[in-house]
Amino acid sequence: MTAGPRTRRTTRARTMFRGLGATLRNAFAEAGANRMALGSQMAVMALNDLVWVVFWILFFHHVGTVRGWDVELMLLLQATLTTTGGVALGVFANARRLGAMAVDGDLDAVLALPVPPLAYLLLRRIEPVHLGDIVFGVVLFTVAGHPTVARTAVFAGVVVAAVVLTTSFLVLTGSMAFFVGRSEASDLGFHGLLLLSSYPVDIFAGLAKLVLYTVIPAAFVATVPARLVDSFDAVDAAWLVATAIGFGVAGWATFTVGLRRYTSGAVWTRA
Amino acid sequence: MSLTTAPPGSTAPSPTAPAGSAAPASRRWIYVVLHTAGRRVLAEPGGLLVSLVFYGLVVAVLAGLWSAAAEANGGTVAGYTAIALTWYVAVSEAATVSLNIRMIDDIGRDIGGGAVAVELLRPASVLGVRMVSELGRALPRLAGCLAAGTLLATATAGGPPRPAALALTVPSLVLALMCNIAAQHAFAASAFWLRDAGTAWFLYQKLVFVLGGMLIPLEVLPGWLGRAAALLPFRAMAYAPARLASGHMEPVLLLEQLGWLAALVVGAGLVFRAGQRRLQVVGG
Repeated sequence: MTAGPRTRRTTRARTMFRGLGATLRNAFAEAGANRMALGSQMAVMALNDLVWVVFWILFFHHVGTVRGWDVELMLLLQATLTTTGGVALGVFANARRLGAMAVDGDLDAVLALPVPPLAYLLLRRIEPVHLGDIVFGVVLFTVAGHPTVARTAVFAGVVVAAVVLTTSFLVLTGSMAFFVGRSEASDLGFHGLLLLSSYPVDIFAGLAKLVLYTVIPAAFVATVPARLVDSFDAVDAAWLVATAIGFGVAGWATFTVGLRRYTSGAVWTRA
Repeated sequence: MSLTTAPPGSTAPSPTAPAGSAAPASRRWIYVVLHTAGRRVLAEPGGLLVSLVFYGLVVAVLAGLWSAAAEANGGTVAGYTAIALTWYVAVSEAATVSLNIRMIDDIGRDIGGGAVAVELLRPASVLGVRMVSELGRALPRLAGCLAAGTLLATATAGGPPRPAALALTVPSLVLALMCNIAAQHAFAASAFWLRDAGTAWFLYQKLVFVLGGMLIPLEVLPGWLGRAAALLPFRAMAYAPARLASGHMEPVLLLEQLGWLAALVVGAGLVFRAGQRRLQVVGG
């Protein structure tokens, strides 16, 4: 007796998820192989984040409130940003390298695997240094974010949405390398998004502000999430989720279409 | 890392050349390394463009932040107007963005991986070639950032607060780059002992960000931190040119930079020399 199409699909999906799970486990095992190095890298990144917190404390100590932002709201923004950045750049570390990999022809080995190439690539490598961001972000939220059950739930939810958005944006800009043959747009997308997300969007006005809510969705990476944790608004939450889904679909579609244009670099060792 | 490659046609003195005849040639390698490194940057317009766009973004964001702060604070922050702050940010960022942001990490990799051993075979100082090469790479970027920053600051805030002080900004910027390069090499030399300079890189960056006045004018720092910053070399790397560009006619800042440059070059030389003595390379 042969298995029906539905059973075959289920088996294929199960194999795929098992493969992706094993990939993620391997990536974590690789990152944790040298525990001393992992610990020191995480500590250095936490120190790096602490400097930004010091900067904002000094800034608001001197100027008080700027366009509705005070030090407490700013620390919430930092907590959401570091946690989001930690997951997007630490756990899905290859998201920011897709452009360079596409241009250098580093994807050959991935194409031969029985798992979706994008999912595999995203889970393949952990960047240990950014795991320090995750720890720092959670600690900062615990210390300065006045955590209650409701606020913690909102914090977790907005971080998930912001991670999807950030990772998708990096995939989208990285996948442009398939079309233009250069990876600079990817680098710029990464640096631009992180930089613009680090500041309250309300310091901008007019066209610049519009851009940060649309083309470069930096507003949804930290400003909107921080405001939602501080004071939840269903409409803003819906916009955040919709933007994350929109960029998720755009990133996946651009990568999928772009991959058809991929030219091998005959490189089998670095994927 | 490409900066360590000897330029084609380099006329660096041979190891066997007599000491007397080596003098003109030893000066020539500086020019050749500087020129070749600069041309390498210009040969990659894509990378240069990305640096300039990133620089423009940073300046726009920080200028927006400080302008909003000045507006919320009665028009000034620590004596700086919104226009002065915009020029401050445009120049402090130019001084830092022009350099290879991962310089310490890159040097650390070369030391930790043993690549630096090949450079020891050259008849020129490893540290000297590296520093001149970094300066050569930074100068075209600095010119681009300066042009873009001037346009951006003038368009968004207004002309320079004091054009005469702005004239001192250009030499101060070059000195800032040189101080920064020397200090980064001194920090990176920790890799001779630790095999990696990643930690030094992170720490150094943050010191320049805050104590160097890159993100925040030093006058905004609380008293004790401001006093500490005044005693450290980091202010020579961003604060000095930025302070001049923001309309403060203080030529003494240039002298201070020269003093720090001498100290940092000597310091980097001593640390590199000590490190080279204990360098061990496995394999070939």
